[in-house]
Amino acid sequence: METMSFEEALRQLEDILSMLESGELELEQSLRLFQSGMELSVYCQQLLKEAEGRIQKLVQKPEGEVVLMELIMEEIE
Amino acid sequence: MQEYISVSALNSYIEGLLEGDLFLRNFWLKGELSGFKLYQQSGHMYFTLKDADSAISCVMFKSRARLLDFKPGDGMEVLVRGAVSLFARQGKYQLYAEEMLPFGAGDLYLQLEKTKARLQALGYFDPEHKKPLPRVVNRLGIVTSQDGAALRDILKVVRERHARVNVVLVHSSVQGTEAPLEIARGIEILNGQDYVDLIIVGRGGGSLEDLMAFNSEEVVKAVYASHIPIISAVGHEVDFTLSDLAADIRAATPTQAAQLAVPDVAAIESALQSYEQRMQRALGKKLNYSSEMLDRIMMRRIWSQPAALLADRQKQIETLAKGLQQTIVSEMQTRQQRLALAATALDKLSPLKVLSRGYAIVSRAGVVIKDEEQVGIGELVDVILHQGSLQVRVESKEGTPWKP
Repeated sequence: METMSFEEALRQLEDILSMLESGELELEQSLRLFQSGMELSVYCQQLLKEAEGRIQKLVQKPEGEVVLMELIMEEIE
Repeated sequence: MQEYISVSALNSYIEGLLEGDLFLRNFWLKGELSGFKLYQQSGHMYFTLKDADSAISCVMFKSRARLLDFKPGDGMEVLVRGAVSLFARQGKYQLYAEEMLPFGAGDLYLQLEKTKARLQALGYFDPEHKKPLPRVVNRLGIVTSQDGAALRDILKVVRERHARVNVVLVHSSVQGTEAPLEIARGIEILNGQDYVDLIIVGRGGGSLEDLMAFNSEEVVKAVYASHIPIISAVGHEVDFTLSDLAADIRAATPTQAAQLAVPDVAAIESALQSYEQRMQRALGKKLNYSSEMLDRIMMRRIWSQPAALLADRQKQIETLAKGLQQTIVSEMQTRQQRLALAATALDKLSPLKVLSRGYAIVSRAGVVIKDEEQVGIGELVDVILHQGSLQVRVESKEGTPWKP
């Protein structure tokens, strides 16, 4: 699950949810899917927290090299 | 001393000349629009009309401007009806426009239409090529001017909604001759580095001339070729550029682009929580149902009174046994009766019974004698009586016949 995208995880979670709500599964299946579902939800929430909120500028040097720099913004209001 | 007049006097004189001329009171002029500006607050329009060699400043006041049924833009050829008068304060004469009509395709528009048709035929605007936007954008790329309003607008939304997204800006000019190349290169750099999940390319509002860079072939091709999804956000609501058509999504303004790009994290988190609750409820229901089924089964008598079942079975067995017994008994009785009958009959017919009535069995060597021929005179025969048996010699074959 480590490399799953948010979309993929969310899609699987929604599939599990609809299967659980249909009520047509065996008890054991329900328990297993519930567990997977909760794991997926935790994973999604983790992904949401990943970004750091930095603002950077990408610059290509004359030699062709690409460099990431911090961007100083005055007054973003 | 030289005779002199004041500036005001001079302007006044010129004004008099201009206003005295009937022709200048009302005429139609054909020219190309340039430097067009509509001030939203006052509603007045200011522009220049030019041809190859000349230009004239123009103004169209709100009262007339709002009657226009088309949107004037730089490069357009137009017909204008108006009058010329002096703007004394600045010492220039202006055309005060009363009416304006498009003269047919202006140069810029013509160019644009041609480019659009050509690129469309090549498939650059195909809907099938467009990619969906990612649901979660943790890294956002922006290609725009570092000093422009677009960047500020986008960052404002990002901050409001999802302070944690990483923003990567590639600065490019957004108008002028270098702009198309710089914009295209900005997109390519971001694609090459794979730093970002989504790209916003755009700029704030402006005239057609100002926005032309986003109608260029270079930008369209770069937008189309981007494997990272692109939102094109150029100018205002009504402005449509070719980059808008080539992009995966067009936003009316940079602010809207940011709103499309950056998810509302709070909303997603609350959706996830609601999913969790729903899963728990669904599981709870399932468990309840299963346990109810179990309860119902366990309520059956067999579990609380297993003996009862045995007792039932026991009774069943007894009934069957009794039945069996009776059958056997009656069967036996029948047989016994038959046996007795048979025995009686047999008894009656028994030769021994016959003997008791006075008959005797004569035999010799185990063979019963029924005929006098079977024995000779002087031979011994056995005579079996009801009681006892005799050995007798045959004296003659002329015995006395039986006479009662």
